[in-house]
Amino acid sequence: MAALYDILRDNWLLLLIGQYPYGPLGGIAATLILSVLGIALAFPLSVALALARLSPWIALRWPVTALVYAVRGIPLLMIILWTYFLLPILLGHVVSGFATMLCTLVLYEACYLSEVVRAGIEALPKGQGEAARSLGHGYVGRMRFVILPQALFNMLPSMLSQFISTIQDTTLGYVINVQELTFAANQINNQLLTQPFQVFFILAITYFIVCFALTQAARWLERRVTTRRLGTTAPTAIPLPTGEELA
Amino acid sequence: MIRFDNVNKWYGDYHALNDITAEVAQGEVVVLCGPSGSGKSTLIRTVNRLEEIRSGQLVVDGFDIHAKSNTARELNRMRSRIGFVFQSFNLFPHLSVLENIAMSPMRVRGVKREEARATATRLLERVGLANKAGSYPAQLSGGQQQRVAIARALAMEPPAMLFDEPTSALDPEMVGEVLAVMRGLADEGMTMMCVTHEMGFAREVADRIWFMDAGRILEAAAPADFFGAPKHPRTQRFLSDLRAH
Repeated sequence: MAALYDILRDNWLLLLIGQYPYGPLGGIAATLILSVLGIALAFPLSVALALARLSPWIALRWPVTALVYAVRGIPLLMIILWTYFLLPILLGHVVSGFATMLCTLVLYEACYLSEVVRAGIEALPKGQGEAARSLGHGYVGRMRFVILPQALFNMLPSMLSQFISTIQDTTLGYVINVQELTFAANQINNQLLTQPFQVFFILAITYFIVCFALTQAARWLERRVTTRRLGTTAPTAIPLPTGEELA
Repeated sequence: MIRFDNVNKWYGDYHALNDITAEVAQGEVVVLCGPSGSGKSTLIRTVNRLEEIRSGQLVVDGFDIHAKSNTARELNRMRSRIGFVFQSFNLFPHLSVLENIAMSPMRVRGVKREEARATATRLLERVGLANKAGSYPAQLSGGQQQRVAIARALAMEPPAMLFDEPTSALDPEMVGEVLAVMRGLADEGMTMMCVTHEMGFAREVADRIWFMDAGRILEAAAPADFFGAPKHPRTQRFLSDLRAH
């Protein structure tokens, strides 16, 4: 226990922000920035992908469906390595680990999120789209004012869970030297050499605290969404029949 | 106002609408009745092209609504001018009652916000729900939701209104309040097509009743003739089945 305390006391700043300002921003700060940026950029892309997958045009639907299946069928680590080697070739110059990881996360999370968005849209009653159509809304109006506001609201809890997965996925950035939390922990371990269990225990606990807090937030959000969906008050209270009435 | 010309529709092998030729005149109230599966709802849904047709022509207010040459924009503009009321209300649950009514005039027709809200308030008063403007659909009873749905359709100032079993999903004690609103519309000269099982409403409000079976209109008659002296044997059987209950 004392060892844990010592490690934390000596290295808390490294765990928090990495070598910043003497090196790139790292630690939890980098992990969170990577996750937030990843999900924030993946979100609009995922809506576009979902709409493409629901499109009546085959030319749009098929390639996107193929992409989503492909990405979902390949381990994230493979995609990270591919991007790592492919991006510099395509762009013709060196790309930082952080940027590489961000691109990969956006693609990967967008594909997963697009399935959530698609499910959210398909779960809405067909009558919503029909009502919008009968009022004269075109495709864009239907999506923007009727379908997406409902579908995305209902999906908030799933999106938060996806965000939590994203935080965990950032650990894989370690393999391409992205200076995030796992990287910082490994630096500490390389310095100390003799206390790998303690160091990685601290790492695990840190991830757990962040993710557990967010999981709780997701549960709270889910309850709120459910209540909102059902309406704040029941339309008509139907008293349950008592045993006597049933008998 | 609404003219069907040899309209045919198939679901696979099933002939859902069989050579429908009929017309609803300006200001006329037509009630469609018939056994379930006879094609009433399908027919009314073809009028604003929620259902496609195989062949024939359907002209609404001078506009050939199923013409292949229609652009999406033209079709949407025409749809916005045909009020449609669903069995399951289909209010937008994420919008307040007032927003439900004011949203489409603003977004589809470009009506200014204040004007749209003023119209919505007026329509809410008309359907007797002025005090529910800020409520959400889930907080309303079925009858109240359906009245809001009627107000929402009216907000587009449609020259014709379609009702697809507007009271079938309601508890019996709420049917009356919805029918009263519809009766008010009919009295003001609104052109209406209405699929309903409320024979009392049909008798009192309809100018004509179309009786449908197996995708055909078997009989089209004024209520007095329809209920008093039905001509087609199928109509006679339908009416005697009704009376038996």
